[in-house]
Amino acid sequence: MAETILQKIVERGHYKFVDRVDSWQEGVKLSCESLARTGYVSENYYQQIVDCIEKYGPYVVFDHYVAMPHSQEGAEGAEKTAVGFMRVKEDVDFGKDEDGEQKIARLFFTLAAKDPNEHLDNMQQLMAIFTNEPLLDALMAANTPEDILKAEADYPPEEDF
Amino acid sequence: MSKLDNKKFMVCCANGAGSSLMMKMTLQKVLTKLNVKPASLHHCSLSEGKSAAPNYDVVLCARNFANMFADAQKKGTTVLGLKNIMSAPEMEQAMKDAGLLD
Repeated sequence: MAETILQKIVERGHYKFVDRVDSWQEGVKLSCESLARTGYVSENYYQQIVDCIEKYGPYVVFDHYVAMPHSQEGAEGAEKTAVGFMRVKEDVDFGKDEDGEQKIARLFFTLAAKDPNEHLDNMQQLMAIFTNEPLLDALMAANTPEDILKAEADYPPEEDF
Repeated sequence: MSKLDNKKFMVCCANGAGSSLMMKMTLQKVLTKLNVKPASLHHCSLSEGKSAAPNYDVVLCARNFANMFADAQKKGTTVLGLKNIMSAPEMEQAMKDAGLLD
């Protein structure tokens, strides 16, 4: 069986565990760090994501503490295709959406998209993760890369999109 | 036969790479469940989608972007703004509310 996205995240070192961040902007920047360090995105890639959220609002924050910061497909600064994972212990506040609902994240799945097919595959896998609440809970409690793999083994994403 | 058979669908998000893809997957799930055979499913960025929208029968987007398609709506396109882009039940309900289902 092909590697899952969470296995790739662990294998490539695309993860980060932090206790808290000062702002969502810092959160986005930190969530890009592992991708930048390994050459998947450029050093200033995070700024495009920040600009986009400032322009359009916190639409990248979904239910159950999940944020999916991303820029455009084939965006400048996205050198390869990958997903960067970051778990923050404390809530990261992205502000209110258009309905006045506070958007809060603790799990960051940050996208770098260069190859459309690989990106689509990543998105299908992420969708199965984002709709698997027990898995998300386990990932929120993760402190090590081994915890990520254990979470996936305990709560395998079942739904096939 | 469903009212939605042979309709053209477009899914839009800010940059056409993240949430629009996810919404397209939700849409595929809903259409499969309803046994609908759409003419096409397209996903794109808001900038592309804004001008292309009148060429589609149904446009789906996150709720905060729905008002950007007011022009297309006047020309007869159905615009569905969704709160949770991964929720198939919400999408199906929105279709029902818009009178798209039998």
